[in-house]
Amino acid sequence: MSSPDGVGSTSSVAVGAGVAASAPARRRGGSLQALRRNQLAFLWWIFAPVVSLFIIIRVIPIFVILIFSFTNYSITKAFWRWTGLVNFERLLTDDNFLAALWNSTVYVLVAVPAEIFLGLLFAVLLSRRVRFESFYETLYFLPYIIPMVPAAIIWKWIYAPGSFGLANHYLELLGFGRVGWLTNPKIALLAVIGMHVWKNLGFFVIIFLVGLKNVPPDVKEAAAIDGASQWAQVWRVELPLIKPIILFGAIMATIWAWSAFTEVYIMTQGTDISTGTEIAVLVFRIYQEGFRFYNMGYASAISFVLFVISLLFVLAQFQLFRGWKEEGA
Amino acid sequence: MRQPRHAALLHAVLMVTSLAMVFPIVWVFLTSFKTSQDIIRATPTLLPEKWTLENYASLTKTAPFVRFFFNSLIISGVSTIFIIATCSSAGFVFAKYRFRGKNFFLLLIISTILIPLQTYMIPLYLLTRWLGWINTYQGQIFPLIIMSSGIFFMRQNILGIPDELLDAARIDGASEFGVYRRIILPLSASPLAAISIVNWVYTWSMFIWPLVVANSEDMFTMELGLMYFQRQFITLYGGIMAACVVTLLPVLAVFLAFRTRIIEGIAFTGMKT
Repeated sequence: MSSPDGVGSTSSVAVGAGVAASAPARRRGGSLQALRRNQLAFLWWIFAPVVSLFIIIRVIPIFVILIFSFTNYSITKAFWRWTGLVNFERLLTDDNFLAALWNSTVYVLVAVPAEIFLGLLFAVLLSRRVRFESFYETLYFLPYIIPMVPAAIIWKWIYAPGSFGLANHYLELLGFGRVGWLTNPKIALLAVIGMHVWKNLGFFVIIFLVGLKNVPPDVKEAAAIDGASQWAQVWRVELPLIKPIILFGAIMATIWAWSAFTEVYIMTQGTDISTGTEIAVLVFRIYQEGFRFYNMGYASAISFVLFVISLLFVLAQFQLFRGWKEEGA
Repeated sequence: MRQPRHAALLHAVLMVTSLAMVFPIVWVFLTSFKTSQDIIRATPTLLPEKWTLENYASLTKTAPFVRFFFNSLIISGVSTIFIIATCSSAGFVFAKYRFRGKNFFLLLIISTILIPLQTYMIPLYLLTRWLGWINTYQGQIFPLIIMSSGIFFMRQNILGIPDELLDAARIDGASEFGVYRRIILPLSASPLAAISIVNWVYTWSMFIWPLVVANSEDMFTMELGLMYFQRQFITLYGGIMAACVVTLLPVLAVFLAFRTRIIEGIAFTGMKT
C-alpha cells in the first residue's frame, strides 16, 4: 500500500518530542534511523496487510458493484459483456423491482420516524431520574441484542393466523376481530415493519439516554429556575442539545431500514404470501436475482440503486438537521 | 419527578412498555418447555401446564444442532480474534503515527462504516468463489475480520494514551511491536473488550452471509440451521421454540454478563460492519 512511502516525511510517533526522544535512543546505540526503521517495519508488516484486507473486502467490492451493474455478468454464463444502461432500463419496467422499491420506501418512511419517536420518548422518560432505571433500560435493550432469525421466527408465530397466533388471541380477548397479519397483503408489510421497530428500538433508547444523561445538570437547573415546565425543558433545552445524537440515530435507522432482509426473508416463508412480492424489499430482490436466478449483473444494478438511494437519504437528513440547527440558534 | 402521583404514572408506563418489549422473548422460553398438545391449545396460557424437556431432547435427533452450534462458535470466535488484532493495530497506527496518506485511509475506513454488507455481497461472493472458499469456514469468516467502526473506535481510545509512555518504552529499547504489545494492548484492554464482545454478538447473529456461502448442512451456522429447521418441520412447534432458545441463549448470557460494556460498544459502533 502507499503508506510506507509517506513515512519518510515524519515517522516519529511523538513528533513534537522527536529530537528529545532521539538523543537517548542514540545513547543506547540506536538512532533516529533505527526508530524509523522499526516503525516502517510495523507499517509494512502489520498495518499494510490490515489496510489491504480492508480494501479487498470493503472498498473494491463497492466499486465492482458499479462496474457489474453495466454488464450482464452471471456465473452460469461463460461469456459476459458490457451492456451499457440495459440493466437500468429494465429496472424501470420491472414490476418486481418497482414493488420492492415501494416496499423499501414504506419501510424507511414508517420505521425511521417510529424508531426515533419511540426511542426519544422512552429515553426522555428514563432520564427523569427514575428508580430501577437500568432495569428498564435492560428490558428495552434485550430485543436489540438477540439474533434476528429467532426473533423473526417468534414473531411469525405471534402473527400466526387464527386464534393460534398470540396477536390475534389477544385482539379477540380485547373484543376485536382477527387480523390476517402475514396473509393480508395490505397489512403484512406493516406487520414486518412493526417487528423491525420492536427489534431495533432498544438501540435508540440507549444512545438517546446516554446523550440526555450527558446534558450538563446546570443547564437543566438554569431552565428550571427560569420557570420552564418539564415539557419545555425537554423540548427547548435537552433535545436541541442532543441533536447530533438524534442525527446519528436517524442515519443508522435509515440504513438499517433500507438494508432490511432477514426478517422479511424469514417471515415470507410458509405464509400465504408465497411469492413474496407483497413484502419483498430491495435486498430481498438482490438476493433473489443474484443468488437464486444468478443474474449477477442485474442484481448489481439493484444494489447500486439501493446504495445511491440510501446515500441520498443520509445526505437529506444532514440537510434537515442543519436547518433545524439554524432555526434553533 | 417530585409528585408521587407522577412517579407512579411514570413507573406504570415504563413497566408496561418494557415488559411488552421482552414479552416475546419470555414467551418463547416458556413455550419451549410446553408439551406439544399444550402449545397448540385454542387458548394459549403463559405458563406450561406441565414442564417438559422433550423439545430440547428431540432437537439433536431431528437436525445436527450440535454441529451448527460449533460452526457458529468457530466462525464468531475466529472472527473476534482477528477483529482484536486488526482493530487494535490499525487503531494504534491511526492514532499515533504520522505519514502521508494516513488521513486518506482513515477517511476511507470511516466512510465504509455506513455501507451495509448487503449492498456489496455479490462481488464478495464472487471473490469467495474465485478463492475456492464457498461452503468453507474461511469463506464464512473472511468478510468478518475487518470492522471499520471498530478501527475508528480503537483509534479514538488510543489517542488518549500519552506519547511519553510510548517514547519511554522506545528509549528502553522496545521495538514497535513491543510498544504495541506491552503498552497499547494492555492500556486499551477495556475498549478492546467492548468491541470484541460486540463483534462476537454480531457474527453470532449473522444471517445473510452464511445464507449465501454455506450450502451444505455441515457448514450451517445456528441461524441457518434454525431457518431450515423451521421450514422443514413446520409443525414441530416445540422443537422450533427450543431451537430459537438455543440460538439466542448464548447472546443473552453474554449480554447479561457484560451489560455495561456491550452498551458502551454498541452505542458507538451500532454493531453493524
